[in-house]
Amino acid sequence: MTQAETQSENKLKTKDEVKVAVIACARSVNLEGELSATKLNGVSNCDVIQVPCSGMIQPRMIEAAFNAGADGVIAMGCQIGDCHFREGNKFCRERLLGQRPPMIKKTVPKRRLKGLWMSEVQVDDFKARVEDFKGYVAEQLVEEQKGN
Amino acid sequence: MLTSFVRSGQKVILRIEDILNKVFSSEQNLLYYHGAMPNFCMWMLFLSGLLLFAYYTPTLEAAYQSVEYITDKLPYGDVIRGIHRYAADAMLLTVILHALRVYFTDRYREYRLIAWYSGVALSVFMLIIGVSGYILVWDERSFIIVTKITDFLGSLPFIGSSLASAFLNGEVISNYTMSMSFFLHTGTSFALLVLLWVHYMRISRPVVNVTWAIGSLISGIILLFAGLFPAISGPEAKFTVEPSYFDIDWFYLWLFPLIDTVGNIGAWLVLIAGVTLVTLLPNFVRNHDKEPASVSKDHCVGCRLCSIDCPYEAIYMAPRNDGSKYKEIAVVIDDRCAECGLCVGACNFDAIELPNYKSPQVMDDIRIALQS
Ligand code: HEM
Ligand code: SF4
Ligand code: SF4
Repeated sequence: MTQAETQSENKLKTKDEVKVAVIACARSVNLEGELSATKLNGVSNCDVIQVPCSGMIQPRMIEAAFNAGADGVIAMGCQIGDCHFREGNKFCRERLLGQRPPMIKKTVPKRRLKGLWMSEVQVDDFKARVEDFKGYVAEQLVEEQKGN
Repeated sequence: MLTSFVRSGQKVILRIEDILNKVFSSEQNLLYYHGAMPNFCMWMLFLSGLLLFAYYTPTLEAAYQSVEYITDKLPYGDVIRGIHRYAADAMLLTVILHALRVYFTDRYREYRLIAWYSGVALSVFMLIIGVSGYILVWDERSFIIVTKITDFLGSLPFIGSSLASAFLNGEVISNYTMSMSFFLHTGTSFALLVLLWVHYMRISRPVVNVTWAIGSLISGIILLFAGLFPAISGPEAKFTVEPSYFDIDWFYLWLFPLIDTVGNIGAWLVLIAGVTLVTLLPNFVRNHDKEPASVSKDHCVGCRLCSIDCPYEAIYMAPRNDGSKYKEIAVVIDDRCAECGLCVGACNFDAIELPNYKSPQVMDDIRIALQS
């Protein structure tokens, strides 16, 4: 095995090893008692950072998360249509889709970036969706390896 | 206690919305159009009302016959009348839903006060429109309403008798009374538009339109009712006959059973207490200390993005004359600010921040979390 191969082997991760950062609206899924510091209980390698509204999530925050070692990033707000501040989650979604300034940099791996829109009461749903996303990110990392 | 009551109400609403999202998707969730639904009903009322207006005659001799003519002779006249009747009920129902939702999801106080107060005024106006509408038909029920309202107004101390004669538009029931009722009905309807302008004053891009699907659903239900239970008049009102017909519409005519039960003064007290209580609801909760967004002179480049995105019209762009190379600067109106951070999300220059959630801090939090 050459050294290059070892390195690329190392980059591959199992679903459990995948590191996810969730930048979440504090009013969406109710995470009271679900977090130890920033770690989501019951899901491995998942950090949650809360902001007052998903509309506050700047593209640069997403970039910061990837740069700090996240394999996948979730921007989470309330159900589309039910933003406490009326339009925050719509604007956030438009930014994720590249339809609203400020734009997300081209270097951000868009496929490993996800918008999630859930209400306060959907705690279990939320955890399941994070697990799904981790699986997806793991596959995505494999795809990206092949592409290289 | 109040807070826990409101919290449980919010949970119930969120659960219902959760189910609606699964059945209809969030794009077609009725509860996400809570303000747009009454608006839709209102425009159905304006349209159908316009057609009725064309043939209606507001005099004691002709009113009843003109309504009968509309119902029996005009093509689809009965349908139009039915739409007008049931759209009014639908409007009240959806307004109640709207008010309950904004109350229980805590969207009614602080920077939303203008919307709340104007909402209370809108509901009082709707009551006036509803009651006066039932006078226009001039059947026995109308006759009873006019006498009871005259007594009701007259029962007030000091101003009662002048209010009563203003309502009758004279000292007895006459054609002028009909003109007054007609004015109260249509004039107050137009006043709704003014109040709605106030209602939306602090709301950027209010969601006033329902989707096609929801619009069709509401129209369908209203048409169904118009077909199944046609709006009809009772016997024509005659000064020589003691009126007895009073088919009650519980949406708009509940005042009359109330007067029968607790008397005129009692009904006034209930009405005033009710309106006062609802108006003061925002005062029963302590507001937290305000920490509005603030703009950094050094960083703002005047790109306007924050002022476009602010959902509560709290940012305006002011011309700049401090020697900066940029022409404008964003200014936050503190009282209007919801502390939502949408402006922070819109700004690419670290120029506008919430004091408690500065964006560099959030980015640090992200880095620290991922490194732990
Ligand atoms: C004629 C009846 C009414 C109509 C057509 C109407 C319509 C609307 C609309 C379209 C919005 C904007 C919703 C959005 O885009 O977020 C709104 C907001 C609001 N309405 Fe009404 N409304 C009516 C009556 C009322 C009543 C009776 C109340 C309560 C007493 C009320 C309280 C509010 C409040 C507090 C808001 C602000 C909600 C927020 O900022 O999220 N409205 N209304
Ligand atoms: S978005 Fe930022 S730079 Fe642009 S006007 Fe607002 S505060 Fe100034
Ligand atoms: S935080 Fe910003 S966007 Fe939100 S209401 Fe205040 S000024 Fe407007």
